[in-house]
Amino acid sequence: MPGKQVFTLDLNGRETEVFAPADATLLDVLRDNCALRAAKRGCNQGVCGACTVMIDDVPVRACLTMAGACGGRAIRTLEGYGDDPVMGRLQEAMNASGGVQCGFCTSGLLITARNLLAESPRPAQAEIRSALSGNLCRCTGYVRIVEAIASAAEEVAR
Amino acid sequence: MSFVLSPRTVEEAVGLLAELPDALPMSGGASLVAMKNARLIEASHFVSLAGIASLHGITATDTGLRIGGMTRHAQLAACDLLTGDLSMLRQAAGQIANRVVRNMGTIGGAVGNADPAADYLAVLACGDAHVELTGTEGSRLVAMTDYVTDWYETLREPGEIVTAIHLPAARPVPSVYRKLCRVPGDYATASVACASDGDGVRVAVGACGHGPIRSREAEAALRGNLRDPVAIAAFGAALADLADPVDDVRGTSEFRLRLIPRMVAAAISDLEGKR
Repeated sequence: MPGKQVFTLDLNGRETEVFAPADATLLDVLRDNCALRAAKRGCNQGVCGACTVMIDDVPVRACLTMAGACGGRAIRTLEGYGDDPVMGRLQEAMNASGGVQCGFCTSGLLITARNLLAESPRPAQAEIRSALSGNLCRCTGYVRIVEAIASAAEEVAR
Repeated sequence: MSFVLSPRTVEEAVGLLAELPDALPMSGGASLVAMKNARLIEASHFVSLAGIASLHGITATDTGLRIGGMTRHAQLAACDLLTGDLSMLRQAAGQIANRVVRNMGTIGGAVGNADPAADYLAVLACGDAHVELTGTEGSRLVAMTDYVTDWYETLREPGEIVTAIHLPAARPVPSVYRKLCRVPGDYATASVACASDGDGVRVAVGACGHGPIRSREAEAALRGNLRDPVAIAAFGAALADLADPVDDVRGTSEFRLRLIPRMVAAAISDLEGKR
């Protein structure tokens, strides 16, 4: 089929072949071809943060990443954190604190928060807020999200 | 339908761009892919520069610093080589968008795109930077003060890529980047880069015209008068006279013209405080 091609991706630790439009973004491929729908399509402009994923251990926007530029790079989405206890604590704390309402921003926030805890195991409030500045939430007002990340960090560090 | 090509050398990249007239170079993709998603651009191919080793990293040269075009904003925001009169570049890089986008966007992409409200142009004009442009005929250096020729128009020819930014070696004098924006991470409503220079200053204004605004005549007139508010007001007014701001969602043209002298005076005052 013209305009489509095969992409070979290192996706959540598994080599994955995808047949998708040549100009697909990583977000398109994750959601439309791989049924990995944790990363959300919010603004598709890199602003909202709902599509945040890790590439080579660095958080990036899946919507601004061309699938064709991902060859040889290790992609990790929220679905790839099933065996990560720190992510588990973050998820539980988000649930318990009311940091999740509609849930649209949650996957991106969790990736950002997990990366923050990798860099800074006991982040100060200001550090958490700064780290979250690229993730928009229109429900919660952020207070409970910040609290959830702080309490999860505290538990993990203990 | 844009296919992604991933050359490994600059020669291969500019060769592809010469061969494919409807291709565009792509560095971090932070603006380019956003424009693709919004259907503002069409290209037969995106020639990704990410896999070209020589475009990555910051190196000291005989004359100063060479910043590879693929250097990410996050790297510049954390770069220990950007001290003294180059610290304004570090400050500006750390104010672009947010941390995740700073992991993606590059200085070469930002300079290539030349958005008038983006953060680097004023800093690089103030810092006497040169843009290294490379095409199939080889490389050339263009002064940042000459580089932007009109709205989103630059001296970069189709098929050329921004391979590096060259800056003179850092001098141990203060510099500051002041940015007024609606929320942190937004494009600037107006910005000012300011560096000490003996008994004077170098100043460039951003987001108030098609390119950064700098006047060596006005800088010469201000020399030796940095504590004279009348001279500083005249300097700010001279820069506002050279501005041609637009009315947009971030502010009116008139608002920006009024901002320039105030922001310039504030930046000069910041430097006096750091001496």
